[in-house]
Amino acid sequence: MRAAPHDPVRTLYRTLLVFDVVAILILAVGLAEFLYFEPPGQTTGVKATIVGVFQYDPATHITSGPDRRTFARTEEFAAVVDWSTLPQNIAVDARWYDSFEAIVGKVGPGTPVQLTAQTIIPVGVPAGLQHNLPGQYVFVIERLENGVPVEVLARRIVVVERT
Amino acid sequence: MSANPTLRAANPRPSSRPSRYGVAIAIAVVVVIVLVASSILDYVYLDTIPSRAALYGLLAVALVALGTFIGVRAFDRDPADRRRHLIRAGVLLGLAVLLWLLLIDVFVFTNSAGPTVATISALACLPTTAFGLFVVRRLDRNEKEPWRLVLVAFAWGAIVATSMVIWGESLWGAIAERTLVPGPGLDASNAFSAGLLEELAKGIAVLLLFLVMRNEFDDVVDGIVYGAAVGLGFNFMESIAYMTNLYAIFSPEGAGGYAAGFQWYARQVLGLFFGHATYTALIGAGIGIARQLPGRREKVIAIASGFLVAIAAHFSWDAWLAFFPVEGSVLGLVEIHLRTLIMTGPFTAAVVALLLSGIQIEARALADQLRKEAAEGSGAILPPDVDVLSSPWRRLTERMRALGKGGLRAYLALARLQTAQLDLAMERWHRERNEIEDPLEAEHELRRRVIELRRQAAA
Repeated sequence: MRAAPHDPVRTLYRTLLVFDVVAILILAVGLAEFLYFEPPGQTTGVKATIVGVFQYDPATHITSGPDRRTFARTEEFAAVVDWSTLPQNIAVDARWYDSFEAIVGKVGPGTPVQLTAQTIIPVGVPAGLQHNLPGQYVFVIERLENGVPVEVLARRIVVVERT
Repeated sequence: MSANPTLRAANPRPSSRPSRYGVAIAIAVVVVIVLVASSILDYVYLDTIPSRAALYGLLAVALVALGTFIGVRAFDRDPADRRRHLIRAGVLLGLAVLLWLLLIDVFVFTNSAGPTVATISALACLPTTAFGLFVVRRLDRNEKEPWRLVLVAFAWGAIVATSMVIWGESLWGAIAERTLVPGPGLDASNAFSAGLLEELAKGIAVLLLFLVMRNEFDDVVDGIVYGAAVGLGFNFMESIAYMTNLYAIFSPEGAGGYAAGFQWYARQVLGLFFGHATYTALIGAGIGIARQLPGRREKVIAIASGFLVAIAAHFSWDAWLAFFPVEGSVLGLVEIHLRTLIMTGPFTAAVVALLLSGIQIEARALADQLRKEAAEGSGAILPPDVDVLSSPWRRLTERMRALGKGGLRAYLALARLQTAQLDLAMERWHRERNEIEDPLEAEHELRRRVIELRRQAAA
């Protein structure tokens, strides 16, 4: 009795299936990572209050003008938060992200009471640059669980124009 | 009349199975619907500058579709008409590329970086991408794919695939940004978006070539070549987009040229073969392996596997790039190379492993078929030809010898003869494996052509 001839294409096929197992593992790790940082069932219904995003003077630490959604590159700006609307037994922080998702401003973490004195959260100009980079900036107030942000309690998006 | 109703295919298609052309048309229709819908939805709901480009870019997409259609039709026509149709297809594809580049200049970057920067970026990417295409095509040592199909694959990656993903990624990103916690979770979500949508958009091109151009799609090697060509096209357009965008962002700080230059190096030198070319080559490998599998279930699994591995490879880069930060010092230069090597290197190694195995399998099979054809004594392949045709190096040596003796005309005549002889061996291989739908008459025609070319070469 003769054995069936060996087909090398089948070896390629089986190799591809091995790669498949690795691919499934990678995607599974990715899904686990997503679920770790976005755990389901974390919605508390708590809403934070962002008073607005205003022009900011770093010398005096004072905001001025109306609540705005766009700024020029040369303008500095900051978000103003009302921490008093939040329950006092949760851990929170507030962060600014630039269009490269780099953190360019932050207060916390702490309880709302601990952060009462820090109602103005400015955007910092990255080291080595003269002005803010143009693009979309996202401001979020996050609730933390074991030090990991698990829920966004408030969010504002502003645009820094190129011109 | 050459048509003979009694001729049977080596692997006749069951009447219940849809024609592969029908499947290809269905996929093409879906692609066009997605492009039209995405452009209109983008324009209406997102109203961003890139979305306007997508809307106006429909003309470029239509030109690509028409050019591809005419190009494919050319192969069903007489050789006399074929050249005319191929020229028409080439002109249409060329117009589409130019139109799309123009749209990018005018609508996306003119307001920020300006048309000069966009043109310089495109010109900077052309030589590196052309080098990439040259290398990728040379990978197939035994039977190089025709330039026209490699360029169609490239054009799809550059124009059609990029157009297809604009809306999907914009919408996914907009929803994720407004609902998810910024950080690794959002990064993972965006990475899933890029991996899924971009690999599907690029992979469809390889799938369509597999369905429509079966005669030029032989095995895993061809799949890798076409896949890498699509990836290089996508990488070309993405490089221009990133270079101009980052130039616009950093130029007020006086670092626009540096930012664009860094992007050029990262995408056109370091990432030329490691990024999109690797991902889409993995899809091509899956489709190429499916080409030679007998069962429909295995074919589907192989194709799905190629897509899955490509999606995972792309995902891992986008999701975990932040875990390999690069310092802004001299050490950063080392780190950026190591990061690419560590994160994408294993996938590129996987492509290389499949490619080398494929080349070896193909070479053995062709040598076997050349021997069998020589033994049959048809005159198409003579016994002394077998060793020469089995070795790319010896084929080149023979051609160079012909060049020395009879000039360029002799060189080209011998090159055509060698190509036709290898085509014949490839046809025999597919027939022996029962993976061909062409009637036996096609093989006889190839044999007659080889004999005619041999006569011309001898003259």
